Amino acid sequence: MEISLVLNGKPITVEAPAHITLLELLREYLELTGTKEGCDIGECGACAVIMDGMLVNSCLVLAPQAHGSTITTIEGLCNADGSLSDLQENFITYGAVQCGICIPGMIVAAEALLAKHPTPTREEIRQALIGNLCRCTGYQQIVDAIEATAYARRHLAESVARA
Amino acid sequence: MSRFTYARAHSVEEAVALLSDPNEKSVPLAGGTDLLVNIRKAPPTFTRVVDVRRVPEMRIIEVREAQLVIGAAVSYTELAESALVQRYATCLAQAARTVGGPAIANMGTLGGNIASAAPWADALPPLICLDAHAHLRSVEGARSLPVAELVLAPNQTRLRANELITHFTLPLPAPDVQSVFLKVGHRIAQTLSRANLAAAIGRDATGRIATARLVVGTIVPVAQRFEEVESLLIGQHPSPQLFVEAAARAAEGLVRRVGRHWATEYDTRVLKALVVRALRATTAPSPTPEGV
Repeated sequence: MEISLVLNGKPITVEAPAHITLLELLREYLELTGTKEGCDIGECGACAVIMDGMLVNSCLVLAPQAHGSTITTIEGLCNADGSLSDLQENFITYGAVQCGICIPGMIVAAEALLAKHPTPTREEIRQALIGNLCRCTGYQQIVDAIEATAYARRHLAESVARA
Repeated sequence: MSRFTYARAHSVEEAVALLSDPNEKSVPLAGGTDLLVNIRKAPPTFTRVVDVRRVPEMRIIEVREAQLVIGAAVSYTELAESALVQRYATCLAQAARTVGGPAIANMGTLGGNIASAAPWADALPPLICLDAHAHLRSVEGARSLPVAELVLAPNQTRLRANELITHFTLPLPAPDVQSVFLKVGHRIAQTLSRANLAAAIGRDATGRIATARLVVGTIVPVAQRFEEVESLLIGQHPSPQLFVEAAARAAEGLVRRVGRHWATEYDTRVLKALVVRALRATTAPSPTPEGV
């Protein structure tokens, strides 16, 4: 069946079977392999994307459910010129990336959080990452990177407002 | 994965018509957080899913004629964030906050939790505690029944094959009633319940307990009220001794219901702790009970 959606800011239409997941649609039919399959049952968060402004596990969304929706994947979260975003740079700076498999989901979850809560506490950051598992880092560095990004964005917003 | 087709319903009428189409074996699809996991465990027995997630009548949260009306396709996130649910169905808002993590809660729905009827369903004890009714629709018509009568056994409800839960209603609680939901899981977060409980306590002008509801889930085959604990509490002033007595009666009641088995020692110990915590939370002086 035909599935039309706005993907990373661009309207697209793709022909795909009705019984596949959004994850499979993204990776196999749209060749966007940034979103990862970690568990395929919605427990690890490696497949996280933003659908209609909400964090969702794409392995638990049936592809046709995305028809008519707006989706942002990890590929849509870098800067417009393709360079790494401030959040992505901080993930590197703060040592939050080891094997990398959880990272797209972490970035997506973090951006979903910061869109709703621009100044989260560390506890709120941890709550937002409940559905994202990391087997390498122990999470501290991930929380550090998100907290630092939120802080810097707020400072930038405040100095812009003052200017 | 076996093949099936997809149809999206834009109204309840369209949904029930699709569900009754004799050429397909159709099932409702809302958030998908149970259905998409189930089709990995066993090949689907259906040939088509009917997406009801965006049906407007199933997404409402409103007060109508002294009842709180909640659509079956309302998500856990919407339940947790709703001022009406927090106020009039506190234990349900608390339960909604404990389901999965943000990504699950954004998609999973109230109707889905009840229709799946897992033994560890977190929305079920609150709905029973609050005397909620489930409203069902099919091409044959509409019917409603108490949520307490909807679930027959683990993963088995009274829902007919072509029937859809459209919404739930519950009477607005009296102003003196405080409710709470508590959950013990294998993990702190993103976990199924190992034991859960919803309680609602109302007090009279002297401070005595006037109304009591205690609904235990997960460690019983189907979430159910423990009336023997409720009647022990009625007419009593809250006190630590009363809470301990109530906890002991709950543990006896559990053994009477399910017998003694390998998990009894754990289940009774956890149940007693949850009962005491629930009673403390619902009889605390401040109007906001403790959460999970």
